[in-house]
Amino acid sequence: MTLFDIIFTGSKQALEAAKAAVDSAIEKKGSDAKVAFPETAYSLPTIYAATGKKIGNLGELRDVLSIVESLIVPEQNLEKALNAGLATALSAEIIEACKYAVEEKPYSEPCAGFISDAVIRSLGVPLVTGDIPGVAVVIGEAPSVEEAAKIIKNYQNKGLLVCLVGKIIDQAIEGKVKVGLELRVVPLGYDVTSVIHVVTVAIRAALIFGAVPPGNLEELLKYTRERVPAFVNALGPLSELVVSAGAGAIALGFPVITDQDVQEVPHFLITQKDYDKIVPTSLEARGIKIKITEVPIPVGFAAAFEGERVRKED
Amino acid sequence: MENCGCITCDAATKELYEKAKNEGIETVWDRARAMQPQCGFGEMGLCCTNCGMGPCRIVKVSKDGPQAGICGATEDTIVARNFARSVAAGAAAHSDHGRDIALALYHVDDKARIKDEEKLFKLADEWGITVEGKDTVQVAKEVAEKALGEFGKVFGNLLFLKRAPEKRIKLWEETGVASEAIDKEIVRVLHSTHMGCDADYRNIIRQAIRAAMTDGWGGSMIGTELSDILFGTPMPKKVEANLGVLKKEYVNIVVHGHEPTLSEAIVVAARDPELVELAKKQGAEGINVAGMCCTGNEIAMRHGIPMAGNFFQQELAIMTGAVEAMIVDVQCIMPSLATITKCYHTKLITTSPKAKIPGATHIEFDEQKSFEIAKRIVKEAVMNFKNRKGEVHIPDEKSEGRIGYSLEAIIKTLDRVTNTHAHPSGTVKPLVDAIKSGVLRGAVAIVGCNNHKQPHDSCHVTLAKELLKRDILVVTTGCGAHACVKAGLMSDDARKYCGKGLATVCELLDIPPVLHMGSCVDISRILVLLSEVAKYIGGDISDLPVAAAAPEWMSEKAQAIGLYAVASGVYVLLGVAPAVTGSENVATYLTKDIESVFGGRFEIESDPVKAAEKIAAHIENKRKRLGI
Ligand code: SF4
Ligand code: SF4
Repeated sequence: MTLFDIIFTGSKQALEAAKAAVDSAIEKKGSDAKVAFPETAYSLPTIYAATGKKIGNLGELRDVLSIVESLIVPEQNLEKALNAGLATALSAEIIEACKYAVEEKPYSEPCAGFISDAVIRSLGVPLVTGDIPGVAVVIGEAPSVEEAAKIIKNYQNKGLLVCLVGKIIDQAIEGKVKVGLELRVVPLGYDVTSVIHVVTVAIRAALIFGAVPPGNLEELLKYTRERVPAFVNALGPLSELVVSAGAGAIALGFPVITDQDVQEVPHFLITQKDYDKIVPTSLEARGIKIKITEVPIPVGFAAAFEGERVRKED
Repeated sequence: MENCGCITCDAATKELYEKAKNEGIETVWDRARAMQPQCGFGEMGLCCTNCGMGPCRIVKVSKDGPQAGICGATEDTIVARNFARSVAAGAAAHSDHGRDIALALYHVDDKARIKDEEKLFKLADEWGITVEGKDTVQVAKEVAEKALGEFGKVFGNLLFLKRAPEKRIKLWEETGVASEAIDKEIVRVLHSTHMGCDADYRNIIRQAIRAAMTDGWGGSMIGTELSDILFGTPMPKKVEANLGVLKKEYVNIVVHGHEPTLSEAIVVAARDPELVELAKKQGAEGINVAGMCCTGNEIAMRHGIPMAGNFFQQELAIMTGAVEAMIVDVQCIMPSLATITKCYHTKLITTSPKAKIPGATHIEFDEQKSFEIAKRIVKEAVMNFKNRKGEVHIPDEKSEGRIGYSLEAIIKTLDRVTNTHAHPSGTVKPLVDAIKSGVLRGAVAIVGCNNHKQPHDSCHVTLAKELLKRDILVVTTGCGAHACVKAGLMSDDARKYCGKGLATVCELLDIPPVLHMGSCVDISRILVLLSEVAKYIGGDISDLPVAAAAPEWMSEKAQAIGLYAVASGVYVLLGVAPAVTGSENVATYLTKDIESVFGGRFEIESDPVKAAEKIAAHIENKRKRLGI
């Protein structure tokens, strides 16, 4: 299967899952039931930023499915592949929104789930000014608890914000990584779709700090590409769904570094099988340069975490 | 694309063509019109003049006319022979060019004249020349000797064939086209196409391939490699193009032709303070050198010298009234220049004993005394500034582009997207990954000339744009390169013509979507690039999602190029049919059956939009077969 076909397949799977989630939520709650993430003024941020539409109830959410569907055009070119990746991101948001529509509190310790506007406002400034030098999104499962802890702590030591999705969360805890927002290690959730909660951080940064008008997808992607220094580490076996979510990350300008054999894409999709090199590979791929000498992990936010983002060739 | 009736899509050309019409000056288009209708026998390749019993012609339209030549040669034989002779002539032109460069290298007596020592030593190594204890000049001499040996050595195959992927080399050996010495193969075509020799069209074409191979993998490659050693390997740089690069207040010198030995010397001489001072004394602000056709490509690639125009603009350059001297050497120089220069003050200066034109001033160039002679020539131009007569009319048309993409430059550029912790540097891996992942669908070389049978430049440019939007990277050389740079396709702005994949690649690599790889002999750079990519994926050139196109070709050189590309495994699209249509067998062989032998074939398509569709289909087909 070509790389693009894997992406299209994953995007279709995500769409099917989103459809099923909406159907089951409507069955349980009815199409008038309210849909919202907690403590945000940006409705469902991905959908809002991409389409300009605020979603109020499950019926409206169902209408978004056709937009997602229209983004999946299985033609063999990058444009269509990236669109399919965005479709997966939208599907993920739909699925996550359904969780919040059906359950009172879908996420519990240690998982954060949706991240509130207030947190973004506090994170956003150091993020866009470079005080937090980058955002590492680690998805999947490392080969061992030790490797997982080593990678996460390495990012943590460098002052990056680390978001965890999947089994890596348990590995982190087992590996005695202290987690929590103030420690800049945030377990999001165990389902792949919970990765959308870090995506919406980037998207709300664009809406809040970049004043990107909702519905202007092109400007949104430009902002995230240029201003949000995020990247993805996809560890362990990759499903089609994860690959298509990766295409979504690439559409936002975030490179994906994996320990798996994939067809590499220059700059954007890189295989690194040496776990000791995952961190430097990722930082270089995103053009993140750490200025200061490393210091042991501090408690809370430390001003010592000064980072600078520069392009590789500078 | 319906021909809109325009002779060109280039504004400067249109403007000066109108001027020519108003002033009653005859240009290539007028002569082409006067030639209509062109002879059908010649057009189909059915006319033979190879012996004193002829001329003979085969009549296809009725059964009553002759169906064989007086000697009994069939249409297949006659067509194949004519084609083979054209190919041999093209290969001879390129190869003789290569020989001159090799001679120039042989005569180097000062290390300072070697501009790329690294490349010299690399080539010495490739050719098994020991370098220990030898100085650069000595190594240069030995490399040059080895190169010169390629033209007439008694035993052994062309050395550069070894650069191809293993599978290709084996195929060439099996099919009997692994060429030996350059001159020998060309002579053999002339021999076997003599009356009463080879009558088997497939065998004639096989020999034509052997001759063509001595061009791409012989003379042209020697020309390119040794030119880089002598004058420097091109690296990316900005350049201005089109007739608007001529400057009213300056002494304008146009160098036209092919061999960089002459043009390089002119570039240096034109910077000589003494001559610049002299120009100022004549009332000019300075000396402005601009290049035309392939010699223009050579000095543009290496020094950023402005590109005045391509093949069909050579007469028009003179009509600006601003050209003090047009300095020419060999190949693609219209003899009509002598007539046109008579209407202006422009001096036509021929320099090669191989190409004299009645009515021109001949100052013979000698590599040994290159600077001296170049100075003399430039002085002629400077002293001619005062003789300008009438209005100067320089079209206000020029574009800017980035050029200089030698193979070395491309690989260096590719390193920009390698991750130092994850990837090796200095390889074609990023290009291969971009293609394998589908971000780029493939790559196409647009090469070749101008031809009145196609609207000037328009086919080059339309084809390029059609490919760009399909995420197909374009590389170009020769007059196609001139067309593309003039149309702005080598600027960053050209990303707007690209599909998302190609645009992204251009942005990451900081390159234009159309890469200028040099002159016609520099197509050898493309062969090496293809070989490197094929070796990297462990396959053959014929496996790659690539193609070549010569939408406006005209010269015999272009036919040789086309044939060596096909024999190297490349699908080659021609915008003008070669004179082979008189024989169904030959035409079918070249456009179909030959693919089962070499993996490459010719395709004839004059409409550039349809051409792009065919090329894209070919590329997708190759992708499918590779499973990518
Ligand atoms: S070689 Fe044969 S076909 Fe050609 S001119 Fe002579 S007789 Fe005629
Ligand atoms: S492209 Fe054709 S016309 Fe132009 S210089 Fe080369 S052979 Fe001559």
